[in-house]
Formats: sequence, structure tokens, C-alpha cells
Amino acid sequence: MEQSEVMERVVKILTPWVKDEGALANVGMETNILEDLKVNSARLVDVVIAFEDDFDIEIADEDVDQVNTVGDAVNLISGKL
Amino acid sequence: MTTDTRLGAQSEMIRRHARQRLVSMLAGPVWIGVSVLVMRFWFRYRIEDVEAVRARYRALRAQSDGPILVCANHLTLVDSFLIAWACGGPGYWLTHPDELPWNTPERTNFGKTWIARALIYVAKCIPITRGGAREDVGDVLERVKHLMGRGETALLFPEAGRSRSGRVEESSAAWGVGRIVGAHPHCRVLCVYLRGRQQETWGDFPAKGDTLDVSLACIEPKSDAKGVRRSRDLAQQIIRQLMNMEAAHFEKHGGVAGVPDEGASSGEAR
Repeated sequence: MEQSEVMERVVKILTPWVKDEGALANVGMETNILEDLKVNSARLVDVVIAFEDDFDIEIADEDVDQVNTVGDAVNLISGKL
Repeated sequence: MTTDTRLGAQSEMIRRHARQRLVSMLAGPVWIGVSVLVMRFWFRYRIEDVEAVRARYRALRAQSDGPILVCANHLTLVDSFLIAWACGGPGYWLTHPDELPWNTPERTNFGKTWIARALIYVAKCIPITRGGAREDVGDVLERVKHLMGRGETALLFPEAGRSRSGRVEESSAAWGVGRIVGAHPHCRVLCVYLRGRQQETWGDFPAKGDTLDVSLACIEPKSDAKGVRRSRDLAQQIIRQLMNMEAAHFEKHGGVAGVPDEGASSGEAR
């Protein structure tokens, strides 16, 4: 799967949890999920589970520690496909 | 991370914890004594049926030698102090310093002055920045996991922050607590529900002169799920237990679990 397709799907999955919709318009690999998109940190687990379901992969707790930006999520998922 | 780097980091973590534990123990007579004096005589708090609460705490602890994680509802900045005071008097904690739980307070609440930083250090706290860089949050959780693996006790608030609604809400369950429980087979969770009778919602402190009700229950969460699902499942079991304890509290003292009582104004005794 191309990275651009992974990115598109990641952004789509994140959208329901994003509180700063304006930040979505300029979303990129460097966009911080918590600071820029204002996703509630308590909801991060739901986001990760949505990634697992959508991409049919398994993500360990420790993997989530490396995910700060949209790019981190894209790279993590791409590595598991 | 190479094996050598990992072992080095772990050795440094063990030394850090040992230093903090020693300082906490040596400074115990001062910080524990002052904390209790402030809660008892400045704030004039009273724990309802405190001897029964303490007996129950000791009985629950004695049931097993396995790891125990204390999880509580979260309404004020001093919940950790109140819970410790409810579960044991100063004499108990001075003679059982290893049982005093490690805590993870929000760094921005307690990191502003050197006095606050010193207090949380001697009180066995590991500050965390909620919503901060995932690696930093993960590092704190790993430290707590490590401490529990060595038989120590930690206190975590499954809702992460103070409840803005004043009630325990399943939607606010943070999965970090599930991650810690999942790392330790046979980990028991000592659920604590603490609330001042005048406490309608969250705040910095309970009202002066308030009577605090405390209930304790022990569960051993289990899950067949894997990965983050497992952590979420375990965290939700803990939250649901706290919600049940909250419902029992309001059944006994009035008010409605899940929805703040519209008839009571802030600060009114219930």
C-alpha cells in the first residue's frame, strides 16, 4: 500500500476525534495528533483500535509510545502492512 | 535500544527509585506529620468511620502478597494524600513506608514552585505530563510497571485527570492503568471511592470542615484480548467498579450517580 493511501486513511480515522477541524485542512506528516489536532489523549486508545480494525493489524502498547504525529502513525502502520 | 543500553537505563531507574524511596522514608516524620496536621487542623477534614476504613484496607492488603495497584476516583488535587490518610494513620505509614503508594501527579499542577516539587518528590511521586509526548508518558508508565514488579504499590487515577463532571465516567477511562495491570499477572486493583459530602464537582480541595466518605473494594481484572484492546478492557473494568461504588455512595448519601444533583448548590452539605 502506498504511503499516501495510508496517510489518507489515517486522517479519515482520526477525523471524528479531532477537536481543531481547522488543523485538518493543513494536516501533514509533521502534524501532532494531540497538540495540533487536539485529539483527547484519553481517546488515543480508541484511535489506535480503529487503526487496527481498518488496516487489520495489531499494535502493541509500546508501539503507541512512539506515535506523536500523523507521520509516526503512518510509518508505524506502514511497517506492519 | 541495545541490550546494554536497556540494562543501563534500568539500573539508573532502580537507583533513582531507591534514592527517592530513601529520601521519602527519612523525611517521613516531617512530610507525613505536616500533611496530616494540615488536613486535620487547617482544613479540618474528617474521614467517616476511619478505623473501619483502615481495618478494611489492612484486611484487603493481607489477602495476597501479589502486586496491588490502587485506583481511585479523582475530584481534587489532594486525593492521594486523603486516600493515604484514610487507609492508614501517620504511625502506620511511618512503620510501613514500603506500602505507601507511588503516585503520578500532573506535572503542571505541582511543578510550579520548588516547595511543590520537593513535596511531591518526598511523597513518592513521579510527575507526568498528561497529553504530553507519548514517549514521556510511556516512560512514566514503564517506571510504575517496574516498581510494581518489585512488589511496590502505586496509586493511579483511571480517569487520568480530575473529573470535570464530578462523576466517574466510562468515556474518560485512560488506558494507561490497563497497561500496568496487564503487565502483572494476578495484579489486584484496590478501588477507592472518596468523596466529601459537600463535594459537588471537581476542585482544588474539598471544602474546609468537610466529612469524607471512603469505600474500598478489591478486584482482579482479567481480559482475553490482546494489545491495546486488552489495556482498554482492563481499564474499563476498573472504571466500572468505581462507577458502581459511586452509585452506592449516592444511594447512601443522596444525589444521583452519573448526573450532578440539580437541586444542590455548590458547597451545600449533603
